[in-house]
Amino acid sequence: MKLAVKAVPYRALQKTTTLLISAVFIASIGIGIPVGPPQFLLVAVGSFLLSLGYEVAYYRRFEYQLTDDTLDIRSGVFNRREREIPYGRVQNVDISRNIFQRLVGLSKLDIETAGGGSTEASLRYVTAFEAKRLQLDIRRYKRGESPESHAEGATVADPDLDRDRAVDDEELLFEIAPSELALAGILSFDPRVPGALIALFTGSVPFISPIIPFDAPPLIVFGLLAVLFAAGLVLAWIVGAISAIVNYWGFRLTRSEGELRYERGLLQRYSGTIPFDKIQAITITDNPLKRRAGYATLVVETAGYAPGQTDGRGSEAAVPIGSRDRVDRLADEISSIEEPTFNRPPKRIRRRYLVRYLLAIAGLTGLLYAGLTVFDLANEMPWYLPVVAALGTPLAAHYKWLHRGYWLGEDHLVTRNGFWSRETKQVAYYRIQTVIETRTIFQRRWSVATVIADTAGSLSILGTGAAAVDIDHQDATRLRETLTERFRTALAERRWDRQRPTAFEWTGTTEERPDSTGESGNGQDVDQSHIDRSDDSPSDVDRSDDDSPSRK
Amino acid sequence: MNDLHPRIRVIWILRAVVVAVVVGAVGVGMATFFDVSQLPPVGFAVLLVIVGVIHAILRYRNWAYVVREDAIYLERGVFTQVRTEVPLVRIQHVDSRRSAFERLVGLASTVVYTAGSRGADVTIPGLTPADADALRRRLKGLVIESDGEDAV
Repeated sequence: MKLAVKAVPYRALQKTTTLLISAVFIASIGIGIPVGPPQFLLVAVGSFLLSLGYEVAYYRRFEYQLTDDTLDIRSGVFNRREREIPYGRVQNVDISRNIFQRLVGLSKLDIETAGGGSTEASLRYVTAFEAKRLQLDIRRYKRGESPESHAEGATVADPDLDRDRAVDDEELLFEIAPSELALAGILSFDPRVPGALIALFTGSVPFISPIIPFDAPPLIVFGLLAVLFAAGLVLAWIVGAISAIVNYWGFRLTRSEGELRYERGLLQRYSGTIPFDKIQAITITDNPLKRRAGYATLVVETAGYAPGQTDGRGSEAAVPIGSRDRVDRLADEISSIEEPTFNRPPKRIRRRYLVRYLLAIAGLTGLLYAGLTVFDLANEMPWYLPVVAALGTPLAAHYKWLHRGYWLGEDHLVTRNGFWSRETKQVAYYRIQTVIETRTIFQRRWSVATVIADTAGSLSILGTGAAAVDIDHQDATRLRETLTERFRTALAERRWDRQRPTAFEWTGTTEERPDSTGESGNGQDVDQSHIDRSDDSPSDVDRSDDDSPSRK
Repeated sequence: MNDLHPRIRVIWILRAVVVAVVVGAVGVGMATFFDVSQLPPVGFAVLLVIVGVIHAILRYRNWAYVVREDAIYLERGVFTQVRTEVPLVRIQHVDSRRSAFERLVGLASTVVYTAGSRGADVTIPGLTPADADALRRRLKGLVIESDGEDAV
């Protein structure tokens, strides 16, 4: 099948615009070539025609097809590539449409598998309807059904009927309320814009210095700097609020057989599916303010996204903020677990945290003093200000200890960490990749250790994964062994499940066995994400098992 | 539990020496340039070598691994002691590799990759090339046996 015809002029225009923007940028810096309106027009038309030609070729040479077990894509104008993605390997199927694409009725479809550092298949662009159909059909193929209306090149007979089919079995799990959206906006900061401004202005233009009279009394300078800092914060807040509202506008999570679906976005619309059996971990985050107001954040981690992709958001299925009970209910729907009772680290560890905080404050004060001394301001500036924070350290140390803990559920390990932003993480035993026990030289002094249950999730690269931090070293060894043991049991159970007659597996699994939502579907997991063939490779044979599984 | 090959210490010490020589050379260069005594950078380099030797010895002493029926278990680390369990079903692929230093002393390493985010690759250094190959083959066999359905 082909991409949408409308995609050809759209892509050409897109390319030309990018080109022109960079051309204008280069011209504004000044390269000595006179650029007037006629030349500009010439460049614009020329590059448009060129890219149009390329895009026509791209369109003609791009073909995709849903076969019985794989999604095949043949693409490439100069370098040809043939890619086959088995349905069982597909982790997420994402559709996104920005405002222009919505005007002309185009969608971008991205397919993620666990391997590799980037999106495995990206269809740019197909019609909005085709994108929905593909998403749905991939899901059906994954379950082993054969969609009635697939067939090569066949047009769907009755679009309305098909659209109904797309929403038939969906159950709404979460829909963002206007108040929650507003809160998400209020609580969002985006430091990137003020950061960029600072970088831009302090670097090239003397921006800060003319505003601040450095010959004025130091306290005034201090005050002015504080005002500038506050202005930066407000800017970060406004930008963050706008972007959060635009991003999460109309956020919905729904469940259809074996899959989680999300939809969100005001200007750019995102939607996608995540199979339940590809969910790696669930993280619920809150802080004292959110707790007081009864709100929390939830993130569903999958293995599909490479780090640094999708603007570092990591997961698409993230509830930015929702009332606590709704978030809990949602977490329960996704992976039902009992109410955890956390095992805390030993109390003695609070002293360690206290010392650590005090050292940090001392270090900060020292730095400030040293910095001010260099500028000869130490006598006039309140360099000792950070010391005030020391008053709060016993409380912080206590809460850090209080919030730490792990709990072994029937099917899940639950860990909790963080003194301000408290993060609760649920990892099914079956999802564990490796179990790591570490003891730093300081931890050994307190005879404690950290146990980490590593998963193939995407957030873990920034965070710590599901970690039971600073537990007694004997507990740690026991926990490590227990986790390995429970993983083994979970694996065996799962294999046994897989061997049962297939009809059993995906008829109403979710209703009958609420604790096993993750096991519906065909349970095919991944070590090999896709098969690539390209004309460069010496043989036309599938490059098989040993070289294509790539790690994350 | 298996120990590493004792000769691995030579590699680690060699690496420490290389670092010390580079640091020392830069230090001596700077000392010459600013016309100050060359003794401190030389002393620092010597100190680095001593620390490197002690570190290599301790590191060797703390390193142990074992391939169990269904998992690889490793213990290592001087300052931070780490114990890792890698279930065999989670292995994505296995490399055996030899760096220039390793070839010099006739050793090899085996690297085990998983889909995890933190302990994504686990290196077992200090094997004889034959051992490394044997380990890789054995792991490959075990991994194929566990049919790869559960790798992520």
